[in-house]
Amino acid sequence: MRRLGELEAEIMDRFWRWGRPATVREVVDDINRHRSVAYTTVTTVTGILFHKGHLTRTREGRIWLYRAAATREAYAAALMEDGLGASEDRTAALARFVENLDADELDALRTALHEAERRTDG
Amino acid sequence: MNAAPALLGYAALVGVTAPRVLLRSAWPHRAPALGVTVWLALTVTFVLAVALAAAQLASPAEHLHAGLVGLLHSCGVGSGPAVPDPGTTDAPAVALPAVVLGAWAGAVAHRLLRAGLRRARHRDRLDKVGVRCPRLRVTVLPHATPGAYCLPGLRARIVVSDAAVRLLSARQLDAVVEHERAHVAGRHHLPLAAAEGFGALFRRLPLARHVRDQVALLLEMSADDRALRRHPDAVLATAMYELAGGRTPRGAFGAAGPSPAVLRMKRILGPRRAPHPALRSALASAAASAPFLPLLVACPPGV
Repeated sequence: MRRLGELEAEIMDRFWRWGRPATVREVVDDINRHRSVAYTTVTTVTGILFHKGHLTRTREGRIWLYRAAATREAYAAALMEDGLGASEDRTAALARFVENLDADELDALRTALHEAERRTDG
Repeated sequence: MNAAPALLGYAALVGVTAPRVLLRSAWPHRAPALGVTVWLALTVTFVLAVALAAAQLASPAEHLHAGLVGLLHSCGVGSGPAVPDPGTTDAPAVALPAVVLGAWAGAVAHRLLRAGLRRARHRDRLDKVGVRCPRLRVTVLPHATPGAYCLPGLRARIVVSDAAVRLLSARQLDAVVEHERAHVAGRHHLPLAAAEGFGALFRRLPLARHVRDQVALLLEMSADDRALRRHPDAVLATAMYELAGGRTPRGAFGAAGPSPAVLRMKRILGPRRAPHPALRSALASAAASAPFLPLLVACPPGV
């Protein structure tokens, strides 16, 4: 059985690509073109995504129309900002490879690299 | 005999003098993992000294043993009589040090929990947006800023942006990923949480002011070392420069001393000699025995 997180990703992928409100039925039909998945499972997971705040919904007659709360690009940008520590949170939840530097520090890095190159060449 | 003044003197030595000595020493950068151990051992021995001093101050008339036995019992450890006689152990002698130890454990646990929640939230979103790359075992994030970071802990993730994949050569990318993998494999988030918890609790103490940044820097150096076992110096150093240079430089706000990236870069490119084995073992045994020193101060053998 696939992990729940993978189905969440598959569902979000549809909403991001379509960029419009859609019903659970549409999502199920689209996923079923690649693999079979139960309608109730998708309903449950879509509900989870709504409660986590990834989806918003409006009611049209007797059915719910869902859509992505933010674009894929906005998600990626927020993650990257978090990951690279632009928020300057002191809690080290994430470890970035190199912090943001100012111009002088970048110069210092460049100088150190050039000096090392000259040593190996000379 | 009341050992409170001796204990407080010891705490001052550990909390004020030791960090200054450590900051001026060259060896931590040469043996970063050992450096992390020594910094954390200082925090442990400081907390124990303060806790024992609190016990002494609460029951100045008695020798510490009664209070200490009571304390150990209240923590569910210790041998000897199953229940300390309520007559010999007075409540403040147990309660005060328990408050000190509890505050410390609470501060560290709070950091661990908060970081864990933040990572879980990040991971939840990451798994929807990112693309898993099975070859490198990383998650590629669609973003125009070159960057690499990792989420340590359970269900760890190593993340690179697709801009970083385009910017770096295959070898540079491998070296960066290896560095991040070292953070995950070494569970570096745990010592960092311990350092942060201590730092938050004793804010104004020199040891608390420095321990977080020093432990973070030494953990980065330790991860660099692991990447350098498999990759040439120049590859890792160039990758670092490329990733830092590919981002918008931040405004300078006059940070004290050279930035961690500059220190790491010079270290990667310079000669890296491990300290002499004798120095290493002396430091390791000092770190291992430091937590017990306050006990020796409080209860000298034969008293």
